[in-house]
Amino acid sequence: MAALVPPPPPPDPQFVLRGTRSAVNALCFCEGSQALERPLLFSGSQSGLVHIWSLQTQRAIAVLDGHGSQSVIWVQTLPQGQQLLSQGRDLQLCLWDLAEGRNAIVDSIRLESVGFCRSSILAGGQQRWTLAVPGKGSDEVQILEMPSKTSVCTLKPEADAKPGMPMCLGLWQLSPQANSSPRPLLLVGYEDGSVVLWDISERKVCSHIACHEEPVMGLDFDSQKARGVSGSAGKELVVWSVDGPQSLQVCGTHKLTNPGIADVAIRPDHKILATAGWDCRIRVFHWRTMKALAVLAFHSASVNCVAFATNGLLAAGSKDQRISVWSLYSRP
Amino acid sequence: MAVFDTPQEAFGILRPVCVQLTKAQTVENVEHLQAQLQAVSDAALQELQQYVLFPLRFALKTPGPKRDRLIQSVVECLTFILSSTCVREQELLQDLFSELSTCLYSPSSQKPAAASEELKLAVIRGLSTLMHSAYGDIILAFYEPSILPRLGFAVSLLLGLAEQEKSKQIKIAALQCLQVLLLQCDCQDHPKHLGELKEQQLGDLLASFLPGISTALTRIITGDFKQGHSIVVSSLKVFHKTVGFILADEQLRRIPKIQAKPAVEHRLADLMVHREADWVKSTGDKLAILIKKIIECVSVHPHWKVRLELVEFVETLLLKCSQSLVESGGPLLKALVGLVNDESPEVQAACREVLRLFADQKVVMGNRAFADLLSESLYSLATSLPRLMNTQDDQGKFSTLSLLLGYLKLLGPKINFVLNSVAHLQRLSRALIQVLELDVADVKIVEERRWNSDELSAPMKALATRPWTHVQRRHFCLFTDERVFLLLRQICQLLGYYGNLYLLVDHFMELYHESVVYRKQAAMILNELVIGAAGLDVEDIHEKCSETGPEELRGIVASILEEYTSHENWYLLTCMEAEEGEEQPGLQAITSGAHTCQVVSFPAFSKPGPTICSMNSNIWQICIQLEGIGQFAYALGKDFRLLLMSALYPVLEKAGDQTLLISQVATSTMVDICHACGYDSLQHLINQNSDYLVNGISLHLRHLALHPHTPQVLEVMLRNSDASLLPLVTDVVQDVLATLDQFYDKRATSFVSVLHALLAALAQWFPDTADTRQRQGLTGKEEESQTPAAHVTSTTAEDIERFVLGYLKEKDVAEGNVSDYDNEEEEQSVPPNTDNNDILPDVELPLPVQIQIAKDVMERCIHLLSDKNLKVRLKVLDVLSLCVVVLQSHKNQLLPLAHRAWPSLVHRLTNDDPLVVLRAFEVLRTLGGKCGDFLRSRFCKDVLPKLAGSLVTQAPISARAGPIYSHTLAFKLQLAVLQGLGPLCESLDLGEGDLNKVADACLIYLSAKQPVKLQEAARSVFLHMMKVDPDATWFLLNELYCPLKFTPPHPSLHPVQLRGAAAQQSPYAANVLCLLQQLQ
Repeated sequence: MAALVPPPPPPDPQFVLRGTRSAVNALCFCEGSQALERPLLFSGSQSGLVHIWSLQTQRAIAVLDGHGSQSVIWVQTLPQGQQLLSQGRDLQLCLWDLAEGRNAIVDSIRLESVGFCRSSILAGGQQRWTLAVPGKGSDEVQILEMPSKTSVCTLKPEADAKPGMPMCLGLWQLSPQANSSPRPLLLVGYEDGSVVLWDISERKVCSHIACHEEPVMGLDFDSQKARGVSGSAGKELVVWSVDGPQSLQVCGTHKLTNPGIADVAIRPDHKILATAGWDCRIRVFHWRTMKALAVLAFHSASVNCVAFATNGLLAAGSKDQRISVWSLYSRP
Repeated sequence: MAVFDTPQEAFGILRPVCVQLTKAQTVENVEHLQAQLQAVSDAALQELQQYVLFPLRFALKTPGPKRDRLIQSVVECLTFILSSTCVREQELLQDLFSELSTCLYSPSSQKPAAASEELKLAVIRGLSTLMHSAYGDIILAFYEPSILPRLGFAVSLLLGLAEQEKSKQIKIAALQCLQVLLLQCDCQDHPKHLGELKEQQLGDLLASFLPGISTALTRIITGDFKQGHSIVVSSLKVFHKTVGFILADEQLRRIPKIQAKPAVEHRLADLMVHREADWVKSTGDKLAILIKKIIECVSVHPHWKVRLELVEFVETLLLKCSQSLVESGGPLLKALVGLVNDESPEVQAACREVLRLFADQKVVMGNRAFADLLSESLYSLATSLPRLMNTQDDQGKFSTLSLLLGYLKLLGPKINFVLNSVAHLQRLSRALIQVLELDVADVKIVEERRWNSDELSAPMKALATRPWTHVQRRHFCLFTDERVFLLLRQICQLLGYYGNLYLLVDHFMELYHESVVYRKQAAMILNELVIGAAGLDVEDIHEKCSETGPEELRGIVASILEEYTSHENWYLLTCMEAEEGEEQPGLQAITSGAHTCQVVSFPAFSKPGPTICSMNSNIWQICIQLEGIGQFAYALGKDFRLLLMSALYPVLEKAGDQTLLISQVATSTMVDICHACGYDSLQHLINQNSDYLVNGISLHLRHLALHPHTPQVLEVMLRNSDASLLPLVTDVVQDVLATLDQFYDKRATSFVSVLHALLAALAQWFPDTADTRQRQGLTGKEEESQTPAAHVTSTTAEDIERFVLGYLKEKDVAEGNVSDYDNEEEEQSVPPNTDNNDILPDVELPLPVQIQIAKDVMERCIHLLSDKNLKVRLKVLDVLSLCVVVLQSHKNQLLPLAHRAWPSLVHRLTNDDPLVVLRAFEVLRTLGGKCGDFLRSRFCKDVLPKLAGSLVTQAPISARAGPIYSHTLAFKLQLAVLQGLGPLCESLDLGEGDLNKVADACLIYLSAKQPVKLQEAARSVFLHMMKVDPDATWFLLNELYCPLKFTPPHPSLHPVQLRGAAAQQSPYAANVLCLLQQLQ
């Protein structure tokens, strides 16, 4: 009875942003209220430039040059104001002021590590926010309180652990009703493939799982379900949860056809997960069931990063110098 | 002539004349009196008025038969006196009035006397002058009930004259006199404002004449058009002035309910009319019939002055009598509205003025009755519109639509009441759709193809002059008059301006979806709605309350745009599928089908497939939608830039369409967009928005089966852009190549043309600097080589010495004793390169983008060289030579590729279609020019023998052939080879043996028997050979033909004997002589 309907053509990106002229390493949608009237996307590229894209005209409206031609590996907007963080391999972490059309560096932090580890922030909407950056020692993570730049602590694994360099960071805190005072926690993916949960206030490892055989390349955490996901240079995508008294537990492992996940991102509504693959593909999963929903093939080189906007738009940046923007709701 | 100022003097003069006249009433005496009167001053005459008038009045009153001539002169004289004096006595006025009016009355026949026309005219003028000569109070006192019978007599007399006389002059005079008599004269002497009470009394008095006056005037007005416009104009004037006075709302409001008892005798009281409500009602009803008649007749009157008067007519009646003539309101408004689009600008202007006045005074908006009337009329018009559009002729349609337009203008924002009624909106839209139906039977539209693919830049010349309003001329089923179309556009624009845009757009969008039959019309209407909504060309007589905001408008336009460019509405079948795939210019196919074998081919063809009509209809639909996009751009202005990301790609795609009409319209749409968005030129537009285009191209390339025209867009873009585009298109080019790899078999044709455009663009954007320098150097060298050749005419001992030394050295080199000289130079040139590479020692410098692209493309060309399709092969050869040009400065890339391409190229050169051979030979020339000695051995081994062989075998054929031969392919091939061999010999620097081969093959062509062009080409081969090896060439030529004896310079040397000397009458003589001359 199956009608012979030709399969629908593979999905297309809604549009593609061109013009970075070098590989795209980091993406971030503009958060906050102004995003509604003037939706923006920030991208950091290999050549050290940060592009600001208007999603309305689909054009770059400004280019920030603050990393001396050294690759930008992380960009992040701050929720409270029109401020942007960019981390470059020139060992600088810059804070940009973008309000009212300004494009100026207002502050910068000298980093100590030349690795590829992206930083992470925890900002609850107050003036003060917490920043996690790779530390001086090759296996250290440094926690700073911003904007005063005071060092809170340095998290160094025990001497016998030797997990290698931190590869990715994820700051979060337990929701207040579970714990009277908010306790900032940090998830770190290490070079040896392990994911470690740190308690920052006590400066100790809460839990540790060795879930990958290859270095962990990206992780994202859903604080609502207390579940996270990590991808590595290997073939597997691991979902783990933080149970009870802050212990990590592997929930499941999802095998991929091709090895290499550069980045993972969970959509803000906690329903969908997207991964950036070295096989040039973006994979979309149902976050609860981990059922594969779509394989988005567009790029001609490895995909370096994925990001979701609050309205559900997905952007992926690739080594082929393009940023593809997808609307995942369009096909019912 | 003396003027007599004092009454005494004047009396002295006049008395004898008056006495004379009293005694004998002759024409001469009257004339004598009049002559004397000329000399009397007005003041003196005033004193003597009664006295002078007496004999004249006496003459009129004398009983017995009178001659017309006499009465006429008496009346004229009377008129003269009255024009210079004032009537100061009530009695005199009344008497004179009666006396004058009776002049034309014969009691016997009870009707105007059969007097002469001159007399009638004189009497009418007399009456008119009399009424003017009376003083304000006197004249007012004159109009009292007692005068009613006499006044009535005069009025009917004048009406009779106006209606029945033949002379235009009399008619007009009668009408003007009537106007004066009814106190509606325009002249200054008459009091303008009488005061309320007086006005009312006068109105009461004159009301009794109203029926007579109105019916008689109606008869005159609705009479023959030929009677002359001025009569109709005057009649209209009298009519509206009279009615406007008697039925003025202002007066009627003050009329008491009960008639005051008039202080007059009973007989007169019967004549009096009391203008109470019932009377007004019945009079209004009766007048309505007359007014309707008048309007029907006058609104189509051929003379504009009449229609102009009608405007005033309507104005007066509507402004003064809107209550009393409520029945006529509809027809009156209709008349006015119908004149809004009158062909005469004066009428139009007056009409607009009146409409504006109405709008200002809120006559239409504020007065319920009128607003209701208008809506009602619009309702009824909307109801009958579909039927009218079906049945009326062009003129009828024009006036009906003018009317509709007028209603819309007058109602303004209130049209929404009508639009909100579903039934009426449907009626209205059905009528519009129906009347806008296009005639799509024209075969030419499908036939006309676009030939010239790079004409995109041409229409920009017209950019400045071309107004947006220009639309492609189209043919409609139901009308041919262009004005009707203009009117329809205005109607739609007005609807868009005043109406609820969301409602209208929704409605017409629904129709657009509903059926293919409606689609084109609905699109046309939508286009105009948007233009109207922007309010750019609409003349507003209301203060517009709420204009659609730019944001809203943009939203609406975006949604329409999306619909227009959606897959099923944009990619319509416009030509036969077969030709599309084959990319053959389809003209022959279709025309032959249409003319000769239509009957045979069509039934078989068209049953499942498209008919000419449906393709035609599709073409029109696309054109209308394209025009729509241009109009949207116009409507939105700079705001349209935000929509370019979705609109530009489809338009550009259609600009590359094969159908002439579509590509023209698309191009003009782009021009419109340029205008609207503020781009200087199409190039500017494409350049500035290339990112949007690239986006569209790359997304569409992913579904090539669905979007087969994508490569063409890229082509158009490349052709119209510059080097700044390259970084953007790089990834698309990679996509194109990747897609090409997937579809080698099916879509090679379209891709190859893109590659051609791409490489041509690259070659143009990145002219090789080394190449140009070389070329300059070359020309310089040539000059140098020419100048010494001119100087050195005789060989000196030093020359010989130098030659011998050089020869020895070359011989040395040939034997393998290579000096270090060259190597050193090479080593020297290497270090700077390594220096450069020091920065990145292990990484090779990345190739420039254009080189990388050219390299990738050339690789594809190698595969495509052996394509089955002849056209593809030809095009690929062109691409190949462009690749070589782009790559020439990067020998490291070029040479390996040339090596790989060589076998295939040789195959093309040796066994393929002659056309291909020709093209391949051109590639070989380019390649030879750029690769030089890299190709030498391959050329000599693989190609030269075959070329030489074919030249030799062809030579006898061409020698014998007639003049037609020069049109054959064989000839062209020969010519190309001969022309190409020379430069090749030079650039490849062929050795002696190979040069001999070339020379052997070409020598035959120096014969005078060969076609002239071939001889020229052959000479050029030898000219090039001279540069390579002058001595050998000299010898060779002399072997063929030797023009002079060589006497040795020294007796000890042997005399030289050359073979050519033997044959004095050689066919080669001319060419060889010419060449030898150049050699020296």
